Amino acid sequence: MNFVDLLMLGFSEALTPTNLGFCLLGALLGTLIGVLPGIGPTATIAVLLPITFYLPPLAGLIMLSGIYYGAQYGGSTTAILVNLPGEASSVVTAVDGYKMAQQGRAGSALAVAALGSFFAGTVATFGIAIAGPTLSSFALSFGPAEYVSLMLFGLLAATILARGPVLKAIGMILLGLLLGMVGIDASSGEERLTFTAVELFDGIDFVVIAIGLFGFSEIIENLENVEARGVLVSKLSRLWPTREDFRRAWPAVLRGTGVGTLLGVLPGGGATLASFCAYSVEKKVSKRPHEFGEGAVEGVAGPEAANNAGAQSSFIPLLTLGIPSNNMMAMMLSAFIIHGITPGPTVLATQPEIFWGLVASMWIGNLMLVVINLPLIGVWVKLLTVPYRLMYPAILLFCCVGVYSINNRIFDVALAAGFGLLGYAFRKAKCEPGPLLLGFVLGPLLETNIRRALTISHGNPAVFVERPISLVLLIATAGVLLLMILPSFRKTREEAFQEEEA
Amino acid sequence: MAAPRKAGGTGDRPDLFTAALFIGFGALGLWAGRDLTMGTASAMGPGYLPRIVCWLLIIIGVAIGGSGAVRARVDIAKPRLWPLVIILAAVVGFAFIAEYFGFVAAAVWLLLVGSIADRDSRFREVILLTAGLTAFGALVFIVGLGVQMPIWPF
Repeated sequence: MNFVDLLMLGFSEALTPTNLGFCLLGALLGTLIGVLPGIGPTATIAVLLPITFYLPPLAGLIMLSGIYYGAQYGGSTTAILVNLPGEASSVVTAVDGYKMAQQGRAGSALAVAALGSFFAGTVATFGIAIAGPTLSSFALSFGPAEYVSLMLFGLLAATILARGPVLKAIGMILLGLLLGMVGIDASSGEERLTFTAVELFDGIDFVVIAIGLFGFSEIIENLENVEARGVLVSKLSRLWPTREDFRRAWPAVLRGTGVGTLLGVLPGGGATLASFCAYSVEKKVSKRPHEFGEGAVEGVAGPEAANNAGAQSSFIPLLTLGIPSNNMMAMMLSAFIIHGITPGPTVLATQPEIFWGLVASMWIGNLMLVVINLPLIGVWVKLLTVPYRLMYPAILLFCCVGVYSINNRIFDVALAAGFGLLGYAFRKAKCEPGPLLLGFVLGPLLETNIRRALTISHGNPAVFVERPISLVLLIATAGVLLLMILPSFRKTREEAFQEEEA
Repeated sequence: MAAPRKAGGTGDRPDLFTAALFIGFGALGLWAGRDLTMGTASAMGPGYLPRIVCWLLIIIGVAIGGSGAVRARVDIAKPRLWPLVIILAAVVGFAFIAEYFGFVAAAVWLLLVGSIADRDSRFREVILLTAGLTAFGALVFIVGLGVQMPIWPF
């Protein structure tokens, strides 16, 4: 089958009424949680993960990915109108977007954001469609040694690009790896680290950890921070950008799309990183840098295009190599595994309808989002006035039913509550729980491949440097480590993240 | 709430806490896996990699603790026990009640107890919300999605 045939196959899958319905549901939910601060896409997907078990595989995946990119659209709406970024990835949008709204150019900013996001989403979706088959045929030549090096590179690079201290992130990854080892050892059949609890022989379920760390502890933390929410909604003006805005926005959209697509592919990349980089790129190339922060349309167009492109292209490593690059993708990986599908090069060959259906649905979803967002902006903004006390009981119920339904046992719910407590402790210790999830998901894969590689080589570790692809990846890993030690790089990194937190 | 930075003292409390957690989990892992066979690199036993990971975790913990101890003093944001305890109790209670008395009783417990975690909760709202969400949950999860759980206690 050639490219066009495969794309047609994808569209025929994505356009069935069921899949279309779940695509719309995902996009709506994504917009909703994007608008609401305090509920992020990671927590939402963790909560909905067990429910997708009851759906057909493709429908579940379509819905979950819709939530991820939908949140990018929703987050920008509130960032522009009320200076309240719903998601971390739209924090920079608020800087210039809100200024534009104060100057009575809210409609223009919203339209630029939505159209820029749509353009970026389209390009990045094509990126997946083109990169997918190429990369995965390349990945078919990977042996265990290459996979080990790739995973080491991915895990280490993810810690650098993620926010927070690198050492803490590495520690969290190690803890994730350790948690992933709980249960019966696949090659010897011996149970390990289970504290002789029969319930743990099958290992800890991903959903238990995800809901504990992201669902429960997020609720607890939100309840702890009593926020004063003074919502001041700017007046909406005309919804179409002026010719001047349009002329200034489109090069920024192009640049943002490029930056976002590239950064999304990197381990640890994704929407948030992409939007921050795009903003600094725009500021650097602009002839009028003094206008940034005062309502420059480029400052909205660039980051908005970038965060959406990054959200899409972060699917590339997952779908082609089977390696998730950030915690969102770790969630998606486990959504595949719930249905007994292991994403990676073989899926493209054996179940092309999954890959192409998902790609096609992303484009359809982006189109839906433009339609949902522009005319319905007023409705979404009204939702901001819903207080948290009415929202969290519903989230709590979803979490509990979700965890209980995995195996119908009390143990899982209690364990998830334990992880909620642990997640709370980590928040107090200022550790990001994301890398733990990444380590947990990759742990078993990493261990199997290390053991396999060393068994084949009779215990000779040279196997990792003798194979060229593996060597290149290891050199890249060493380079990343070196960068981390260099003081000048550390300083820039710290500054970059400080800007983010401000 | 204590001031986040106090002049004079040293010790980054969140970092020290992180170190304690990492070292604690590393040691726990080593202890739990003390009887696992190591094996050799070419034929790894189930204990080979867990031990390596635990030691790395301890080393990282020591490094974080060491650098945190000499840094300027930063306090941990003061925890508020009320929401923490209430939410965890509501969740664990849900599991037990769901097992023996079915979904409706469990959901009502979860939502009523969970609601007192937020001091802003208002009585009438909580009642309405509980009734609505319980009905919604029973319909969507148990009737709609087929989650294996009785609806009523009898």
